[in-house]
Amino acid sequence: MENAAIQTHGLTRRFGALTAVEDVTLSVASGQFFGFLGPNGAGKSTTIKMLTGLLEPSAGTVEILGRPFGASALDLKRQIGVVPEGMALMGRLTATEYLHFVGRMYGLDRQTTNQRTQELLEFMQLANETKKLVTDFSHGMQKKLALAAAVIHGPKVLFLDEPFEGVDAIAAGMLKTMLTGMINRGATIFLTTHVLEIVERLCSHVAIISQGRLVANGSLEELRAGVASTLPGAEREQRLTLEEIFLAIVGAGGQQEQAQELTWLT
Amino acid sequence: MADLVGAGSGGTGQPAAIDIGGMFGPLARAQYGAMFRLRWEMFRSGLRSIHGILDLGATGIAWMIYAFLGVLLGTGMGIATYYLVSEAEWRFLPILFWVLCFLWQMIPVMLASYQEQFDLGILLRFPVRFGSYYLLYLVFGLLDVSTILGAVSCLGMWIGVAVARPELLPWTTFALAAFAAFNVLLVRAIFAWIERWLRQRKTREILGAVFMVALLSLQLMNPAIYRKRHSGRSHSQQQAEQLQAAKERYKPYLQQANAVQKWLPPGLAAQALRESVEQNPAAGMGLLGVLGLYGALAGGILAVRLKSEYRGESLSAAPGRAKSAMGSSKASAGLSASGRESLDRGGARMLGGSGPIAAVIEKDVRALMRTLPLLYAIGAPLLLVLVFSTVFLKNGAVQGPVFPLALPICMVYAQLGFTQVFFNNLGTEGAGIQVYFLSPTPIRTVLLAKNLLHALLFAVVAVVAAVLAAFRLGIPDPAVVAATGAWLVFSLPCNLAAGNIFSIKMPYRVNPGRISRQRGSQANALLSLLVQLGVLAVGASVFALCWFLERMWLAVPIFLLLAVGAVFVWRRVLDNSDALANERRDELMAALMKES
Repeated sequence: MENAAIQTHGLTRRFGALTAVEDVTLSVASGQFFGFLGPNGAGKSTTIKMLTGLLEPSAGTVEILGRPFGASALDLKRQIGVVPEGMALMGRLTATEYLHFVGRMYGLDRQTTNQRTQELLEFMQLANETKKLVTDFSHGMQKKLALAAAVIHGPKVLFLDEPFEGVDAIAAGMLKTMLTGMINRGATIFLTTHVLEIVERLCSHVAIISQGRLVANGSLEELRAGVASTLPGAEREQRLTLEEIFLAIVGAGGQQEQAQELTWLT
Repeated sequence: MADLVGAGSGGTGQPAAIDIGGMFGPLARAQYGAMFRLRWEMFRSGLRSIHGILDLGATGIAWMIYAFLGVLLGTGMGIATYYLVSEAEWRFLPILFWVLCFLWQMIPVMLASYQEQFDLGILLRFPVRFGSYYLLYLVFGLLDVSTILGAVSCLGMWIGVAVARPELLPWTTFALAAFAAFNVLLVRAIFAWIERWLRQRKTREILGAVFMVALLSLQLMNPAIYRKRHSGRSHSQQQAEQLQAAKERYKPYLQQANAVQKWLPPGLAAQALRESVEQNPAAGMGLLGVLGLYGALAGGILAVRLKSEYRGESLSAAPGRAKSAMGSSKASAGLSASGRESLDRGGARMLGGSGPIAAVIEKDVRALMRTLPLLYAIGAPLLLVLVFSTVFLKNGAVQGPVFPLALPICMVYAQLGFTQVFFNNLGTEGAGIQVYFLSPTPIRTVLLAKNLLHALLFAVVAVVAAVLAAFRLGIPDPAVVAATGAWLVFSLPCNLAAGNIFSIKMPYRVNPGRISRQRGSQANALLSLLVQLGVLAVGASVFALCWFLERMWLAVPIFLLLAVGAVFVWRRVLDNSDALANERRDELMAALMKES
């Protein structure tokens, strides 16, 4: 792809005998809102870690904005923002102190850091929590702060690992507006989440990973058409939801039958 | 699935029918079994990695050291008890019990950072009775070094009595058992309450401030008391006269103190033994009963604390709850004036620059001020300076105008306090370690900033320790001052270089809200001690050589020459730190993000 913001080729990560991610090749165009889906333990977070330089791949290559990690890693890190799995927060700081710290670690000057911190805290509705330590924040507040920290330096590519988990509906709506705004201004967003409705509403392209392997990749319409083509005649005409597509692709349909066997559950 | 259905109670949704019973009922017994099995499995899982095996080796060595200390302590207590009982010196027996009680309570604080403890909070999601929770809290506490050393000391005392007066054994057994039980309960109660205070930011900061003030006050108070003795400290005759005069002066107070201590647990235990010798079993029983009441009181205080934990108390969230509710309503109406003010204050300048080095230093200073275990570790050696200088004064070890090696000894202790800071400098980052790997700032810069801050902090502590030592023991010889300063210039980069390597290779998460129950790395603790001993040995050798040659000034160029090499090594380590951190990235993040 000519204008790929993220490109991987044969990306693989092994942990001893376990292969967490195997031979993942994908391309995310600049300005795309990309959903990366998969069941628990499929390898989503491991992939994000490799894409953001937090984890060394066992094999394969990663290119962000046309450049590989390695020699240009530090320069690339200026261009990307990440909400990682563990949120990367520092519990002993207040939200203001934390954003100041992160801004300056990304090389922002003090004045810009101050201004952006203030704007982000207001936007995230955390501006009245400035005396509280991050460790005393609720999970949702911590998520909002982690997202604020991920965007404070104005990244071109944003990686979000479960950003909506534990966030209330009002804040989620606000975050969606912010992320859509970023896309409109040309940023690329790589999102993993289990909330399929959000992916369906926001993402133009989706990839699905299962047991470490990429099992689907394309626009929503392409995936829909692909799954529909496997269905019997009458069902083929229905407009499939992402949840149906996802279940059809990762083959989890059998679990519903298994659940029916747990008759001791009230 | 058929088996699962059969194991339930007829599809009612209830777990398999196990009688709940009391704290020793079938369910409780099954839970105890599960807990011990869990510990065993955790131990086995820990051995899967090289780091785990290294840790086990280090734990073994640490326990050998503790065992050696225990044998020393137990033997000492046994001999002292034997002497006092056989010579019928009953009035001094309470001193032994007081010493033991003091050690029992103090050792956990001194060794807190090095002992890994199991957090029983995970039990609260299961149907565990309060009695079982309490019992497990006590049982796991029995594996503490303090309890083991205390028990060995009690055994030593028991043997001492057995050899001196075998007929007292039954009484001694009861008295020592009651005394040991009291200490076990007291030490657990004290720690449970301290940790409760540490979990709230306000009380944590107050406690930190009180600790620092107390530390400095003690330093200043003691010389004021002994000021008169300073002038005559080289004359033992005069010292003896002064001691006699002090005894006379304080005799009424000592008598009052003695009358009070008789009714405190160590005094009661000693008194119970004495009553048994005087064929007064009723009084002895009564005293043991009172000792039992003290134990019950300590157990009750512990129960109050554990009951709150058991009910699901969450102290970190509690104080902010009301504010949070207010805050959300304010936020919806836009940012208030106070909010803006706090924002501005949050961004208040601490350091001029805006670069990553300044950012790391500023962040670490803020975090340090909120991390009592590290403040304690840094401040505690100042307390030791006080203790040692008092020992020098009281033992008359001071010759001439000043004890010549007081300054270097004080510096060594000041440096020991920085062990955790130097050798686990990423330990307080927690999940925040990811910021360093995600941001474009090289790890080298981060470590450089931390090293600069820690060196500066050490310089402050060293100066304070030196001033206190000079204040208490007199101004040291200029040659010793210069040699000590040069040794520090050598030892600091050595420790920082090794510290940077250990911080990346053997990190462990520091829980800022806890003094005890830290999840430490025995391998890190042991190896850092060895590095410090090595640096110390080099220093001691050079000092000894120059002392022998009577040319203390010669130590300065030797140390400075060594310092050049140490700085070179430190810079090499810094230059390689990115490669090392990237190589160990997974393990580093896993260790620091581990929930404690």
